Amino acid sequence: MHVAETIYRAVQVDAGIRGGDIENVVATGYGRESIEFANKAVSEITTHAAGVSYLFPDVKGVIDIGGQDSKVIAVEKGRVVDFLMNDKCAAGTGKFLEFTAKALEVSTEALGGLALASRTPVSISSMCTVFAESEVISLRARGITKEDIAAGLVESVAQRVSVMAKQIGLKENVAFVGGVAKNAGIKAALERKLGVTLFVPFEPQITGALGAALRGKAQVLAGHEALLRSCAPPSKR
Amino acid sequence: MVRTLRESSITTYTLQCLSDFEDAYQRRINELTARRNQARKIVGTFCLFVPDEIIYAAGADRVILCGGRNATVSLAEEYLPRNICPLVKSSFGSVVSTECSGGDACPHFNLIDMVVAEATCDAKKKMYELLNEYIPTYVIDLPQKPDSPAGIAYYTVQLEQFTDAMEGLTGTLITDDRLRREIKSANETRSLLHRLYELRRRDPPPIRGLDVLTVLQKQFFLSPEELRRILRQLCDEAERKPNEGARKPRIMISGCPMAGGNIKVPKIIEDRGGVIVVEESCTGTRAFWNLVDEHKDPLRAIAERYMQIPCSCMTPNEWRTEHIRELVERFNVDGVVYYTLQSCHAYNIERFRVQQALKETHTPLLAIETDYSDSDVEQIATRVDAFMEMIASSP
Repeated sequence: MHVAETIYRAVQVDAGIRGGDIENVVATGYGRESIEFANKAVSEITTHAAGVSYLFPDVKGVIDIGGQDSKVIAVEKGRVVDFLMNDKCAAGTGKFLEFTAKALEVSTEALGGLALASRTPVSISSMCTVFAESEVISLRARGITKEDIAAGLVESVAQRVSVMAKQIGLKENVAFVGGVAKNAGIKAALERKLGVTLFVPFEPQITGALGAALRGKAQVLAGHEALLRSCAPPSKR
Repeated sequence: MVRTLRESSITTYTLQCLSDFEDAYQRRINELTARRNQARKIVGTFCLFVPDEIIYAAGADRVILCGGRNATVSLAEEYLPRNICPLVKSSFGSVVSTECSGGDACPHFNLIDMVVAEATCDAKKKMYELLNEYIPTYVIDLPQKPDSPAGIAYYTVQLEQFTDAMEGLTGTLITDDRLRREIKSANETRSLLHRLYELRRRDPPPIRGLDVLTVLQKQFFLSPEELRRILRQLCDEAERKPNEGARKPRIMISGCPMAGGNIKVPKIIEDRGGVIVVEESCTGTRAFWNLVDEHKDPLRAIAERYMQIPCSCMTPNEWRTEHIRELVERFNVDGVVYYTLQSCHAYNIERFRVQQALKETHTPLLAIETDYSDSDVEQIATRVDAFMEMIASSP
């Protein structure tokens, strides 16, 4: 895990701390098991819930659309009570947007803005990323505007994810995180489908890391408390 | 000195006597080969709806042919559509594989005289039609509404016809006495499985789920005598085992069968810190939960018992949901992993009702839909981790 090691060092330099000063490291996300310098690994579902709850204490649901998968998480007081993750393929994830944006010859970042400018969105029928790519190309050939195609793509991802959100009953106080949360078009489409205003943190891509850090901190504090208790003189009754 | 080589692998079992089980497969193949040479008829089966009692009463032997290995799936895809259940494809792939004869793809097909199939799901029914071109395949028809008197009557007639077919194959008359003897034998096996499952109610259980599964996967592969011998050993050792070890989340697997060779999801669950305490599955409780009434007319009693198997092919299959709730309580289950094989519509759709029922009892459920390939192992592991963390954090 060379990349993780490099980032870990860079973060220490940025924060002005030394490795020896760090008491606990909690790893999360895909590859959490292979971080050798971590003391513990926690799944990103748990850490997203914890991280978002810290920023938004009343949160009851989290929608996370990342590059590889999308998840919906039902939360109660910072605790995961139910969750769903999309199966296997790229449909309903950032990868879907990345590939189809390429076919549209725009950047992934620009897709959301284009979608919002659309007046007559098309409907993209392919859930499969590869098929959707060729669908985009044929729509372009038919002279459909980039705005309308972009809106169709955004709609497709929002549709897929909102179905999962409804399955676990996300209704109020829902946060939207992951790289795709930066996409205003998807946010608007999800809000329309779910009838809620989504809370998007300032840095939606690091809520999992934040949750892992909070978990690590809690463990350290609990350890210190236990140590203090064991050192304290017996109390008089 | 071979012993020392095996020492390290033995420690991976939760019970010592499981090491004795390692060569059970080869012993059985040798046994079947010997029996076949003595002109004993052997049939191959794919489903719990084919009564063992009738096969043995006709003096035949049987082996289960359900495929759980990924290697033969692609072989089947030359003949069968890609988007059907991996169990059906894996099973068929074993037959049509050119390596089959003498190779390690499937040493069983060469041993059997006839397949005894059943009209359950669409993929299986249609696969059997193709299978018949390779090996004579007899299909037992099944009613769709097993609770109805007409359903049981219909199935009884199907069993009568199956009895005739077996008599035709072996030349042995299936008398009531012979049936009664086999009912007793099958009930004895079922009771032993109950004894084993009772022990799993302990916390922590004396045996892990993976070990039970590998035995269950051979339930209809081994001879009844051999299976009972192993079950007795397991129960004896488990009963003596002191109640110790850390508590782990107690998981129930519910859904599609896990045929021999397929341990993907249970392995992930137990590798990630859970312990499987019960399987509501064809490789689990569905295979043995109910016994045949030994006092009734034997064929009718067999029909009644088999019509109680809560298979999702049946409608409305209310009994399955009730049974799952009973098992959750009985085995003190912390969470249910709902296991569906890709394209198994019946179990996939029933998930919704199971989920609703479990919500009422606040039992968490994790749904996993997968095939036999390893491509989604990491994804499933993440979900299983989150599920265990969720269980651990629950108040």
